[in-house]
Amino acid sequence: MREVLSAIAAILLLAACGEKPPVAPTPEQALLLKPADPRLAGLYETSCKACHAAPDTGAPQVHDRAAWDPRWKQGEAVLLDHTIQGYKAMPASGQCATCAPDDFKGLIRFMAGREDPA
Amino acid sequence: MISRRAALVAGGSTAAVVAAGGTGYLVATHDKPEPLSPPSVNADGKLLWRNWSGIQTAYPSARLAPRDEGELASMLKTATAPVRPVGAGHSFTALAPTSGSLLSLDSLSGVISWEGDEALVLAGTRLGALGPALAEKGRAMANLPDINKQSLAGALATATHGTGSKLQALHGDVTGLRLVTPDGRVIDCSADSNAEVFQAARVSLGALGVISQVRLKTIPNRRIRRRVWIEPFQDALAKAEARWAQHRNFEFYAVPFTGLAVGVSHDETDDPAQARGADQDSAFLDALKGLRNLLGFSTPLRKAAARALLASAKPETAVDEGWKLLSTERPVRFNEMEFHLPADRQLKVLEEVVATLEKERPDVFFPIEVRRIASDDAWLSPFQGGARGSVAVHTHYKDDFAFLYELIEPIFRRHGGRPHWGKLHTLKDQQLAALYPRWEDFLKVRAELDPQGRMLNPYLKGLFGLV
Repeated sequence: MREVLSAIAAILLLAACGEKPPVAPTPEQALLLKPADPRLAGLYETSCKACHAAPDTGAPQVHDRAAWDPRWKQGEAVLLDHTIQGYKAMPASGQCATCAPDDFKGLIRFMAGREDPA
Repeated sequence: MISRRAALVAGGSTAAVVAAGGTGYLVATHDKPEPLSPPSVNADGKLLWRNWSGIQTAYPSARLAPRDEGELASMLKTATAPVRPVGAGHSFTALAPTSGSLLSLDSLSGVISWEGDEALVLAGTRLGALGPALAEKGRAMANLPDINKQSLAGALATATHGTGSKLQALHGDVTGLRLVTPDGRVIDCSADSNAEVFQAARVSLGALGVISQVRLKTIPNRRIRRRVWIEPFQDALAKAEARWAQHRNFEFYAVPFTGLAVGVSHDETDDPAQARGADQDSAFLDALKGLRNLLGFSTPLRKAAARALLASAKPETAVDEGWKLLSTERPVRFNEMEFHLPADRQLKVLEEVVATLEKERPDVFFPIEVRRIASDDAWLSPFQGGARGSVAVHTHYKDDFAFLYELIEPIFRRHGGRPHWGKLHTLKDQQLAALYPRWEDFLKVRAELDPQGRMLNPYLKGLFGLV
């Protein structure tokens, strides 16, 4: 039994390693995306969307895992600090003056395509 | 900024310059590290606020986001002072920082209703969202600044403008507004009702209270043709006045250390839409930075290389609705000083500024923006009393900007320049009183509306001579 479970686990692990990130949304699809949480959706619409759903800005586009995954690997704490401080072209707080740290975390997870905690 | 600039640059040449400048020892001597960061959370557990460029910081004790005008009035009555309204944080001056309450109008966004061709707009609406909202009704703003991330209230508060010799700054299109005072009163004002409050409030640095909604004149939402071209700086100077007379919107950028300028015009057209294409501003700035890094030691060499690489680039054209073309992305952050000069002195001042930079500051590479704005009568409008010509000097956000105060501001001041309220300057109190005929009238209205100075942070107290 243990061998069977190990084999299944190995197969799942291989599948996970080989998993390609979902295809990035088109610019038109990106414009329609918003967080499920109403508060986050409001903050996103007002602040983040102006750059993260506009390809010309150079910002990683919403749900573009190929752009976000290298950033996500840095860890939530680093991304949160870059957001609060501003980083390269990213203005401090993403120009959201009323966002709390938990709002930023939720918005980062949404834009990075990592809303599902699993 | 100079949109489509990079499309003017031959791609291979750009890459060569950037590559040559980007891999050698010289780059290391010029490119600066990220500026020092203040803590993200201070010892009292308060979250950092920074402006767009990063040079203004604060740890507000409270962050307020009223959901409607009633809640705004209630909050203003009880909020911890200083209460400072903030939009996108695009001001370089210390208008927004507060240890008290930072108040955002982000929840007061959108078009409320229409009165004929005038739109009643919630003051927290970002300019980038206002364009499509007006377009749904077939209308548009007559003029737009070259960044559209700001809130409408923030843009009005600082006399934010676009360009066009027949076009006023944004506050020129305001026909009425509602001001919520620090004691929670709501004042409806226009040129016919509470006229003194109206003339004071249209450009008021967020110092009279908080504007909750604005009535805006609009124009038909026409397609416009955008043209961008590069030419010798001396040609740009010689043709500038004729172009301001000819085009609906015209501006140009003097590119120091190149002997070149970039012209940008917008004119109404019925031609079909023609895509603008991907933004190339960053690549163009990278090319200019590469030239600085590689050849900053020799202005003649730097100019020769720039002319060889840039001067023969082809003009670029795009056609689309105005709100899609007039504002552009600014992916590279910067600090900026802009003064509004009497129109007849603008070009002489520009020549002096370029000559000064080329003599004293080889580290500068950002283009200098040159615009023209029609006059209006708001008391603190820099365009009050006559058309003004704007000259704006930028520095990369990592680079030194103290030279703007030491070298550039004295030139602007010597020629009667008025500072952009949201951009770097050192003027205050009597220096401003000498430039603004209604300065004392404004201070009187301010004292009546906010006798306890609850809207004043230390910067504004200094500006108004109250310290």
